[in-house]
Amino acid sequence: MPKREKTRIKPEREHRQIASAKLTEMGREVVKDIQEVRPPKLRIPSRSTSNIIYDEANRYFVLGPRYGVRSAASIKQVKKFAQFLCTADFAKKLIESGKFATLREMYYTAEGWDAGPFSDQGESDMIIEDLEATFGLKRENLGLTPEEDGAAVFGKLMVNEDGVVIDATKAGRAGYTIPPTIDDVEFLKCKAKRVIAIETMGMYHRFVQEQAWKKFDALIVGLKGQAARATRRFLKRAHDELGLPIYLFTDGDPFGFHIAMVVISGSAKLAYINHELAVPDAQFLGVTASDIVDYKLPTDKLRELDVARLKQLMKDPRYNTEFWQSEIKKMLELGKKAEQQAFSKYGLSYVVKEYLPAKLGLKS
Amino acid sequence: MAEELFKEFREHSVSEFFRKNAAMLGYTGKIRSLTTIVHEGVTNAIDAAEEAGVLPKVNVIIKRVNEEPEHFKIVIEDNAAGIPKEYIPNVFGKMLAGTKLHRYMQSRGQQGIGISGSVMYGQITSGKPTTVVTSTGNGEIVRADVMIDVDRNEGKILNEEKFKGKWQGTRVEIDAKDVSYMRSRYGPFNYLRMTAIANPHTHITFVEPDGTLTVFERGTDKVPERPKPMPLHPWGIMSDDLLVLAKHTKGRTVASFLSAELSRVSKRKAEEVCRLAGISPNKKPSELTWEEAERIVSAFKQVKLYAPPTSGLRPIGAVDIENGMRKILNPEFTYSITRPPKVYRGGLPFIVEVGIAYGGNAGKVAEGKGEGEEGENEVGMELVRFANRAPLIFDQGGCAITAAIRSIEWRRYGVDPATAPITLFVNVVSAYVPYTSAGKQSIADEPEVLNEIRAAVMEAARELRRFLYRRIRLKERQERAGIFEQYLPIIAKKAAVLAGVKEPDIKLLLKKVTGVEHAKEGEN
Repeated sequence: MPKREKTRIKPEREHRQIASAKLTEMGREVVKDIQEVRPPKLRIPSRSTSNIIYDEANRYFVLGPRYGVRSAASIKQVKKFAQFLCTADFAKKLIESGKFATLREMYYTAEGWDAGPFSDQGESDMIIEDLEATFGLKRENLGLTPEEDGAAVFGKLMVNEDGVVIDATKAGRAGYTIPPTIDDVEFLKCKAKRVIAIETMGMYHRFVQEQAWKKFDALIVGLKGQAARATRRFLKRAHDELGLPIYLFTDGDPFGFHIAMVVISGSAKLAYINHELAVPDAQFLGVTASDIVDYKLPTDKLRELDVARLKQLMKDPRYNTEFWQSEIKKMLELGKKAEQQAFSKYGLSYVVKEYLPAKLGLKS
Repeated sequence: MAEELFKEFREHSVSEFFRKNAAMLGYTGKIRSLTTIVHEGVTNAIDAAEEAGVLPKVNVIIKRVNEEPEHFKIVIEDNAAGIPKEYIPNVFGKMLAGTKLHRYMQSRGQQGIGISGSVMYGQITSGKPTTVVTSTGNGEIVRADVMIDVDRNEGKILNEEKFKGKWQGTRVEIDAKDVSYMRSRYGPFNYLRMTAIANPHTHITFVEPDGTLTVFERGTDKVPERPKPMPLHPWGIMSDDLLVLAKHTKGRTVASFLSAELSRVSKRKAEEVCRLAGISPNKKPSELTWEEAERIVSAFKQVKLYAPPTSGLRPIGAVDIENGMRKILNPEFTYSITRPPKVYRGGLPFIVEVGIAYGGNAGKVAEGKGEGEEGENEVGMELVRFANRAPLIFDQGGCAITAAIRSIEWRRYGVDPATAPITLFVNVVSAYVPYTSAGKQSIADEPEVLNEIRAAVMEAARELRRFLYRRIRLKERQERAGIFEQYLPIIAKKAAVLAGVKEPDIKLLLKKVTGVEHAKEGEN
């Protein structure tokens, strides 16, 4: 496969400078408004469903043009306005000190803020989203991170985390864990030619045991179910910075499909930063409905929930391709689903020895 | 024939007559009887003072003489012109059934038979005479005990005394048993309270049996104009009225009698009416029979007549009503309206006045010192009814005023009648108030009267609603201003920190943002 074009991703330090500058600028504008006796205003892009649009060209969800105006002169909004600024102040301090805080930690810190505590985590999360959407920044660039770690990575990749060099083949069987602050990690060297992202850790360990990373010159990534933000960011950086093609291998059921699709086309929920997380070129390998048939895999019956979900996916614009429409239809007709570990029917190594090579178009 | 009728009437035992009609005249139940005694005395006192051209000052004292059986002494004192000695027996001792002469003008609801009824009641229940102390201001004070000679229907003076003193007015002391005192809806306190509201020019003091002194202060120094006496209009007349007039008229023929004594009746009209009634216009008035009188009354209904003039009506006036309510109820909000004159039954003029008071002491029927007969200690909408400035205390359920109030959807005005601290004051003014019965405690539901009351009350209710809404908005505005004062400084501070500059002064911005609110507050 031809090497992908590498897109220059700004190093993290620049990201931070940009974020800090944006916050400073906002502060200046508000001060100016006050001095000129004008109620300060903020334009915050709307994240309501009516403003989430599937971008056909880019193949992920983006935000439409709608925005809300938050004004310091409105009795209903002035408190949120103050909270917004307190959060921005908190973020800027994090950036300047090079520290990170989780969303939960910020929620608790807010107890001591002038603009009072948040009534619940949801409220503080909303303000952070407002910040992200308004400035086009990821929260990670504001010093705020989610709690979960990302996926496990095994393969010929060397990274630099705050001066510590890590070799993803020498980080133990569980691999190198993608930290929440993945944007802070520098990719030093990569000898892999592709990335294979796997849904279940069971299958991940199978791949590691079978030394699939050697066999396929791949970075094996164990997603641990639905991919975390950090994982999606990692995959995008691997694709854009390192020029690696991304392949997805999940269970053969609607939830597996969705795991793959979120990596490919992003989520509606993060429409405002999909451009930093989505990998539209990522490819879904399987398990497909056709695979179930072709490989005569052991199956489970589709439950009502599965059927409903499949029907939903058929209507989802992200699945509006010939491939997906026919696969979903086939599964509904089949009435069956199959796990990725079902390949063990043919022996433990079958999936690495036969299935993957066939899918990748490689010689086994 | 008519004369015979009257003779017969007069020959009935007066006490008999009284006993039969007492209930209708207000002497029903122990509490109400006490209130009626107070009412007769106070009404007289206010009327007398007004006629004398002075601002009425009335002192009422109720003393408990004995507990078992209950025996009270009621004292009513005024600052009017006093009564010349020779009139004392007539004023207090004659049970006149024919006080309908007072119908000529819009009277202070001459309920029943006046003070003589109270004297009678006291006499019957306690066996004691009524003591009258009076002086016309000539330096001589007369003190007399009055009793009613039941057989002769006359007042009799026993124990007369005279002494020197500088004073002018009248003081009446009545002993009564078979009465009871309670601070309830129908008790004397509430009656005096309502009277004070309707008559803001009066000063009333009241001492209760337990010694509590209440002063109902004057709300205005204006003596109200006395209503003009005017002849009766045929539409408001009844057969016996006609006969009484016929007896006293100077007219020599029925036709001239009718046109002289009745309003809006020309000689020609009178002749037309006689013809319709089948009576000779030249007949002598004193010879009219009851049946002929009835025919004349119905004949009048068939001819075209001009409506009675409205100029004789004397409402209390919106300003005075408001003064009265404010003085007595100390409310947060008052509004009153005197509507323009309307007519009912084709031409009988009347005026409706409404006053509404909210908050303060409004809406509390009685500051309950105990449970009253009707389950007192309630706070809710209180309706105070008047006809020609006289309180209508009894028969509330059957009154058109009550019906009108009930028919209004109070929730639309932001009011829950069960709990709202509102006193609603309604006064119907007319020379022809359509009472439901001779007791004159409630108003009949003539459609025009009912609708007019409704319209007036709704007008007042609308004003109340505006006040209530303004209050809510004011509270909201104050809260809102507080919110800006809380958060704008934070915004300024944080923005300055982000920008790395000095914190800007928010005073002007704060003023601008809340300035709209502050300006409007000034309106209130």
